[in-house]
Amino acid sequence: MNNNNLLPASWSRQPGTRDDATVLAERTRTNSIETGVDGGDKDDVVDPTTTAFRQRYDIFEKRIPMMFDTRRPCCAPPDLEFAALELNDDFSSANFNASGNSAADNARPPARKLDDDDYDFDDDEDEEDIKPKAPPPLPFKSASSLSQSSEPSSGNIIDAKKSAVATREKLEADRKAAEEAVKRALPSMFFTLENDRDAMLEQQKLEESDRQVNAESNAAQVNALGKLSSANLGASSLTLKHLIARIDAKREKVVVSDMELRNLMSEVRKNRSKWANEDKIGQEDLYEAAEKVVLELRALTEHSTAFLNKVNKREAPDYFNIIKHPMDLGTVMKKLKGHHYKSKKDFVDDLNLIWQNCLTYNAEPSHYLRKHAKAMQKATQNLIPLIPDIVIRDRAEVELEEAGALEVDAEGESDDEPIMSSRGRKAPGTKKTRKGARMEGTPEVKAPVVNLLRADSNPPGNDSQNSVGINGFPTPSGSTPIPNGLAHSISQMDIDHDRVDDDTHDVEYQTWKTLTKKARAKVASERHKLFRGNRLNSEEPALLRSRDDMGRFLGNEEKHARSAQDADDNNMQQGSGTGKLVDTEQTDIQELLPDYYDPLAAVPELPYGVSWYGEGDEVDLQDDDLRLAPKGLFTQPESGLSKRIDANIKQMQETRKLCSKIGVIKQMQVQTQMYSNQFTKYDPKEFVEADAEDFVISEEGPIMCATVARAALQRSVGKIFYHAGFEEFQPTAIDAVTDIAVDYFQKLSKTLMVYQEAPQHERKFEPEEMLLHALYENGADVESLDTYIKDDIDRLGSKLNGIHQRMKTHLTELLRPALQDVGGDGSRMFNDGSEQFVGGDFAEDIGDDFFGFKELGLDKEFGLSSLSVPLHLLQGRMHSTYQTQNTSAVALTDGYEPPPPFEPVTHELLEREIGLVRNFFLAKLHANNEEPLVEDENLPPKQRLPKPRLPPSGKILAPRKRPMHGQGGNSKKKKKPNPPAPPPPKAAPLTSKGVAMDRSLSKISEADGDGNGGMMSPESLVGGGG
Amino acid sequence: MSNDKFKYRVEIQQMMFVSGETGEPTAETTGIIEEIVRGQVIEMLQQCTNLASRRGSRSISTDDLIFLIRHDKAKVSRLRTYLSWKDVRKTAKDNDPSGGAGAPDPADLLDDAAAGIAGGAGPVQMRQKKAKIGLPWEVASFFSEQVPEREEDEDEDEVEANAATLQRLKNADERTRGMTRDEYVHWSECRQASFTFRKGKRFREWAGFGTVTDAKPNDDIVDILGFLTFEIVQTLTEEALKVKELEDQVLLESREKNKKRKREKFLFHAEEGRTPIEPRHVEEAFRRLQVPKPKSRAMRNFSGGVVKSKLTLV
Repeated sequence: MNNNNLLPASWSRQPGTRDDATVLAERTRTNSIETGVDGGDKDDVVDPTTTAFRQRYDIFEKRIPMMFDTRRPCCAPPDLEFAALELNDDFSSANFNASGNSAADNARPPARKLDDDDYDFDDDEDEEDIKPKAPPPLPFKSASSLSQSSEPSSGNIIDAKKSAVATREKLEADRKAAEEAVKRALPSMFFTLENDRDAMLEQQKLEESDRQVNAESNAAQVNALGKLSSANLGASSLTLKHLIARIDAKREKVVVSDMELRNLMSEVRKNRSKWANEDKIGQEDLYEAAEKVVLELRALTEHSTAFLNKVNKREAPDYFNIIKHPMDLGTVMKKLKGHHYKSKKDFVDDLNLIWQNCLTYNAEPSHYLRKHAKAMQKATQNLIPLIPDIVIRDRAEVELEEAGALEVDAEGESDDEPIMSSRGRKAPGTKKTRKGARMEGTPEVKAPVVNLLRADSNPPGNDSQNSVGINGFPTPSGSTPIPNGLAHSISQMDIDHDRVDDDTHDVEYQTWKTLTKKARAKVASERHKLFRGNRLNSEEPALLRSRDDMGRFLGNEEKHARSAQDADDNNMQQGSGTGKLVDTEQTDIQELLPDYYDPLAAVPELPYGVSWYGEGDEVDLQDDDLRLAPKGLFTQPESGLSKRIDANIKQMQETRKLCSKIGVIKQMQVQTQMYSNQFTKYDPKEFVEADAEDFVISEEGPIMCATVARAALQRSVGKIFYHAGFEEFQPTAIDAVTDIAVDYFQKLSKTLMVYQEAPQHERKFEPEEMLLHALYENGADVESLDTYIKDDIDRLGSKLNGIHQRMKTHLTELLRPALQDVGGDGSRMFNDGSEQFVGGDFAEDIGDDFFGFKELGLDKEFGLSSLSVPLHLLQGRMHSTYQTQNTSAVALTDGYEPPPPFEPVTHELLEREIGLVRNFFLAKLHANNEEPLVEDENLPPKQRLPKPRLPPSGKILAPRKRPMHGQGGNSKKKKKPNPPAPPPPKAAPLTSKGVAMDRSLSKISEADGDGNGGMMSPESLVGGGG
Repeated sequence: MSNDKFKYRVEIQQMMFVSGETGEPTAETTGIIEEIVRGQVIEMLQQCTNLASRRGSRSISTDDLIFLIRHDKAKVSRLRTYLSWKDVRKTAKDNDPSGGAGAPDPADLLDDAAAGIAGGAGPVQMRQKKAKIGLPWEVASFFSEQVPEREEDEDEDEVEANAATLQRLKNADERTRGMTRDEYVHWSECRQASFTFRKGKRFREWAGFGTVTDAKPNDDIVDILGFLTFEIVQTLTEEALKVKELEDQVLLESREKNKKRKREKFLFHAEEGRTPIEPRHVEEAFRRLQVPKPKSRAMRNFSGGVVKSKLTLV
């Protein structure tokens, strides 16, 4: 005990008396308090020593909070005036009482240490005789008059009813007041978790008993699957009789029990309770009240535990020898459900029988069950007034009475009510009762406890007196007010003492205990489940913080933060400051639990860029926490290696471009027919690594996004593929390699982690060494990496460069054979500037300024977008298609009219020719079967002379085949050009330059021989001549 | 040792001699080496066959064979040089029957190749004719068009590989410097030792060509295998010599420790003759060469299980 240690030195001055010894003895006692209480304490006199001790105790109790250091100003202990305390050291009893009281009343310690009940007990014993009656600090109900309550119940039923209603209302008010008081006192209380275990166990037992009762009654119901209509479904049977008949007919198929059915029925008809019965007048009211009483008694778990179930023979073998009529709350409930009670008296008798049995069996005054029994007895007495005094009667009987008695007296009035209620209308009194019951809402289970505690008066209803008398309950306190501390009431049950003032704190504590019992039990059982078996049970649901709890916690914190005087005012509005977390309606019993019952709520909000608002789960991110992710997270970092790789890739692309040109040219050499769309232009795009789109981040650390990272890795793999020479690859291949790379890198980092996370004493390596080891273990030491860079990147780069150079030269050689092979003659033809090359698109195909036109600025001069040699000029086959077009173009540019087409040579034409050629043409005509001789170009395609074909290189690879040698001479006759026509420049077959040259010559010849109408083209001349 | 089983005792002895072994190895030693070489050849053939079938071809090509040793760049380079000079010899012999009196023999080829690299003394014409052995995984194959040949582009690879070859030649030169004429003749005879040269049929039977691969490997492959087998014997011998040297050193030290009194050395005190390589040295050398590299088991890390290592190609 605390005060033992705190006793001042003056204590030793006091001579030890018998009482002192008693006090000390009491102090050390734990459970056997009642002995002392029942025994010798009655003849206690006011002992100065005791009072001195009491005083000291008070003083030091007040000093307790000082031991608890707090930083909160509101919680700081008030300064105690030690001088005043010293004053009390003199043992004038007159002074003493006053000061003691004032100490108790004025300075209620802001935080109080409330220990076990033992503590309170011996405490009480010491003071009980000394303390005069003092006004209770809480709004106690004034003691109802004894005379009133002792009036015989049989007198006036209406009065009884009224008084019952009044009592109920009062009880209600008291309970509320008590709750308020507890709430008010809550911050000043100091709580322990000690009782939680008991609360939990008791709660568990209660639930168990509930289940048992339900199971038993259900079993009984199922066994006797009676007819519904025969079962008392009450008034509902009138309106629902068809349904009920139907259900009855199919009763076997309906699996629910009668009780459940009845519950369903009562739910369908809201204003009907399950107890309602057409034929039993008053049953509904009586049973409803009785059930409530039983429930409340059961909920009084602190005391009711022992009475919930039948006494087991194993526990008390001789029980049934002593107790002839065993009774327990479970049985009462069963009997209720079985409609065994006919009147209030039956019910009350049964209840009292329970307690009486207990007291009888446990005759020894110190037995611990006695106090429970007595507590229950008190509770019963408080609750009994709630039950209307009704004797259930059969309807028929009542109706008979009604018919008989015409005049209506007070009794008749009361009789009417049940009738009406049984027809669906309730008597005003009962209605009120029920309404009150409904108003109680959820906390109703705990409510009666408060009633008990608060009702300091003796039971107002006369019924209790009645019943007590009947049961022979030896209560000497029948005419005395009931003490209001529960614990005290137990200890003092048999001695009549009024002790109020000191116990008010304890009352609050007790009230708090009972009020919060269920909540505490819940918390404790959750914890218990989680840690059952001394280990953490992973299967159990985790303890989570909830918004409300946190809000409440924050509210309390806020309150503390406020100044001390404000604290009192704001006690009740704690939710307001933290409204963002707490819904205002969330002020239930939970609130009465101190913060440390919910340690999770004390976990402060994480400083995260998220805030909660009003309802729902809206998450608003604050702007300052958000920012755009930096660029380049998913692109290749700028490094020497990556630059080189990029350069290599670029080089490869360039070389491939060259390759495609070479391919085109080689194709031209082989193929006779060319199409403009035959060659797809190889125009590789530069590799550009696209970064991820802009996204917003709000936290530090690396950005983890598996898909994006994988895509980036895939791109890198693809790049390496390309770098290794693959121009294209299948997606599956790149997927597979990416997977392998992922696997490999995971292993690499795992190895590194193994090295890094080695225990301190085993750590042998520097970070760099760790890295090297990890690399080595994964087959990639620095040397091999270096070799890779040297061989596969650097050397590759130089190789690629060399190959590119070679390709370039190769291409140049392919394109410009004339410069090397043909010699000055051919090359000069280009320099002549023959315009036929202008406007073609041959060189454009391969993207080469083949003739250097662009260099010369010709494209600007002519305003042409492309300057190149048309392919057909190099390619014999296409020549004819473009011939006319080109000719006209040439003529136009020269300002000449196109010459008239040559007339076919006929006999008539020959007349005008000179004699020299006449014979020649005659011979030709003859050879041509006297048909007119046509120009080569105008011949039908089949007979046309094959044009000399020229490879694009311009090289003449083989001497021209001349199928026309024999044929040409036979089939065609050409006009001989005029003698001044220059000789063909070469006997060799035409080259492209040859064609071009001939065309220029033809112009000359045309200009020269204008007068000769039937001039032949030099081509035909060459063709014929060659 | 029955002669039926070991067919290359003499050749192996000669090769070992060329590789630095001065003593006379026992038949047991050569037998072990022969077995090892045979195992390697069979492994190579098998892998080649697998590669070829992956390409969709039934017959193995030289590329498949070279692919197996692609990581050993120096070796690949030597092999290519060997092949190209072989080609040169062949064409030279075709063009000029009088010049090539005998068939080209591989050892000379090696020498010539090395000589050509070493001093650039090889006739320019020969160099021009020298066929380049292109490999499909080389840079040139990146492109759709054939890269035209060009003079005087010395591959860096070759330069590097030649460094190793030159070192070997230098060593050989050192050894032959003090030789008498007869000794040198013997040396050069030994250098011609080959598993395959003029023993094509024996080699095929010995290596189990018929059972290992369906296709009948052509002469080129046999030549390459001949080259590779020589390399294997050489590597093994060099490694075994190293092992033996270590062993001798340890022995010497322990002997010195045991014998307090060292025998005095006289002027004409006959040195204890070098003992030849013994089978255990070869076995140890082979074990060392077979130790799996971390690279080959990296992907098995953290996955548990027994790592079954394949036969490593020496």
